[in-house]
Amino acid sequence: MSQNQVELLQRALKREKAARKAAEKILEVKSKELFEANQKLQDINLQLETSLTQADSQLQGVFENIVDAYVITDLWGNILKMNDSAVTLLGFEDANEDFNLLEMLDLKEKDKVESWFKGMLKEGSSTDFQVNITTRDKQQKLVHINSSLIYDNDIAVAVQGIVRDITIQNKYKKSLEAERLKYSNIIANMNLGLIEINLEGKIIMINQSFSDMSGYNQEQLIGFEAKDVFTLDNEEAELIEEEKRKRVKGESNSYEIKVQTKAGDDRHWLVSGAPNYDLEGKQIGSIAVTLDITDFKILQNQKEKLLTKLEKSNDELQEYAHIVSHDLKSPLRSINALVSWLKEDNQGKLDDVSLQNFALIETTLEKMEQLITDVLNYSSVGAQTSPQADVNINNMVLDLCQILYVPEHINIKVLNPLPIIKGDKTKLQQLFQNLISNAVKFIDKPEGLIQINVVDLPTHYEFSIQDNGMGIEKKFHDKIFKIFHSLNKSKDSTGIGLSIVKKIVDLHEGEIWLESEPKVGTTFHFTLKK
Amino acid sequence: MQKKLKILLIEDDMIEKMKLNRTTSALQLDHEIIEANNGEEALQLLENKDNLPDIILLDLNMPKINGIEFLGILKKDDVLKYIPTIILTTSNNQKDLLECYKIGVAGYVIKPLKYEDYVSKIEKLLAYWSVNELIVV
Repeated sequence: MSQNQVELLQRALKREKAARKAAEKILEVKSKELFEANQKLQDINLQLETSLTQADSQLQGVFENIVDAYVITDLWGNILKMNDSAVTLLGFEDANEDFNLLEMLDLKEKDKVESWFKGMLKEGSSTDFQVNITTRDKQQKLVHINSSLIYDNDIAVAVQGIVRDITIQNKYKKSLEAERLKYSNIIANMNLGLIEINLEGKIIMINQSFSDMSGYNQEQLIGFEAKDVFTLDNEEAELIEEEKRKRVKGESNSYEIKVQTKAGDDRHWLVSGAPNYDLEGKQIGSIAVTLDITDFKILQNQKEKLLTKLEKSNDELQEYAHIVSHDLKSPLRSINALVSWLKEDNQGKLDDVSLQNFALIETTLEKMEQLITDVLNYSSVGAQTSPQADVNINNMVLDLCQILYVPEHINIKVLNPLPIIKGDKTKLQQLFQNLISNAVKFIDKPEGLIQINVVDLPTHYEFSIQDNGMGIEKKFHDKIFKIFHSLNKSKDSTGIGLSIVKKIVDLHEGEIWLESEPKVGTTFHFTLKK
Repeated sequence: MQKKLKILLIEDDMIEKMKLNRTTSALQLDHEIIEANNGEEALQLLENKDNLPDIILLDLNMPKINGIEFLGILKKDDVLKYIPTIILTTSNNQKDLLECYKIGVAGYVIKPLKYEDYVSKIEKLLAYWSVNELIVV
């Protein structure tokens, strides 16, 4: 090898060496740069990771603490993630259960869900979707879902949704609706007319019954004033206005008016109205319920007329009884006077038989007079209405024993203190007077005894008047209370006394009966209302 | 000293008139009795103010103007209202009694059935009024 050749080779080797060295140097630098870059990258990565974790845990926090149920599923409905609210709402044991949400759906809801899902795929999100589900713990619920798709590189990979339980809300709404329906049915079908008017008095609503009652349909009434449509005269119109003013003041009211229906019939309505308020409590008019009381009114009028008539005829009857008794009594007085004059003018000229006959005329006149008085009294019992007062029966009976003629051999005993009764004093006195004097009259024993007693019953007092007189046979017990049924034809018995007694007892809402044994005595029992 | 009374008897019944006359004469009372058959007749008699009665005995049940109507007319008259008017009737109707006292009567006597009782009542009535001081118009 030539020198040149060696030198050439040596130089080349040297160059090569230097180049390698340079390359090594570059490599070293580059590698150092790379290391540093790597180091930096690692730092950044770490930072990034930390912030990512932070964000993630923040998100996790939001996700967990959100009040509404939050669920993420894959596109087939398999649950990927859900929060505690969702666990509770959907009835799971815990959040880790594998479950496909589609299993919760009712078959009936399939189509609805399908179209919802299609819609969401197209739009990317969906709001206000409502569906019935059966939760994991077998509860029927109505839920409301707002949902959206989750994309990865523009490809939908999952569904996230916020689910709300609106079962109760819905139930509430439904029951509210049911109530509304119920009331509107009642309003439509009730026999009462319903009318709503605004503050100006214009009709804004009526129900079917009101339309039936008045003969007008909705169109003919709405926007009109009731007083212009129904009233006959100013008086009634003024009444409606007056009542309307009261309602504007916030008063509820009830009044009767006379109206004219479309057919021209006069009807009487009972109107009950109340002010009507809006949700803010502002008065917006009034609502009135109307009831047709015409028939009732007619009956009431008839009743009043009948009562007046009855009262009048009662008065007339009473008057008639007095006039008749006067007209009957007057001739008796005349006859009596004439007989007296005949006797006077023929003193010493009349024989015993004639005198006896004159005496008989006088007795007959007295009996006639008594009869007329009794008939008049009988017709007066119940006709005259004296005020009810507290009557002390004890004092009254003691007074009577003084006033009445009681022969020496008859003893009257009051066994117990007699009570105070609410009633008509004159009539009560007549009652006791008739019974006591009856007892006195029919005592045929040498020692007469009349015993008066009382028993306190819950609503009545039961009185008894017992005598040891001649007694009454059983077969006459009912008859004796009938008018003109005198058992004994005597000069001082007209057969009316006991009928009066019965009538007075009836007036005091009591009963009368008797126990009697012929020849031993009679006890009259009667009750008087307390 | 007993006064001699001028009595106006307003009564439609003949025998009742006889009764009063016979009673006064039997009792030997020297009263003057003027008779009127009804209210109308009585009012005519009372038109003569120079010859007014001291007392009036008035029956209630009469034709034409009845007793109560007559009483009403009497009480409206400025002069006649002072004449004591005593009702003499068979009616013991409480309504009549009340009405009469309401309008204003000097007495209300019920005619008894027996003539002797009648005589006794009239005797007392006339004795009472004959000792009374009366307004002279």
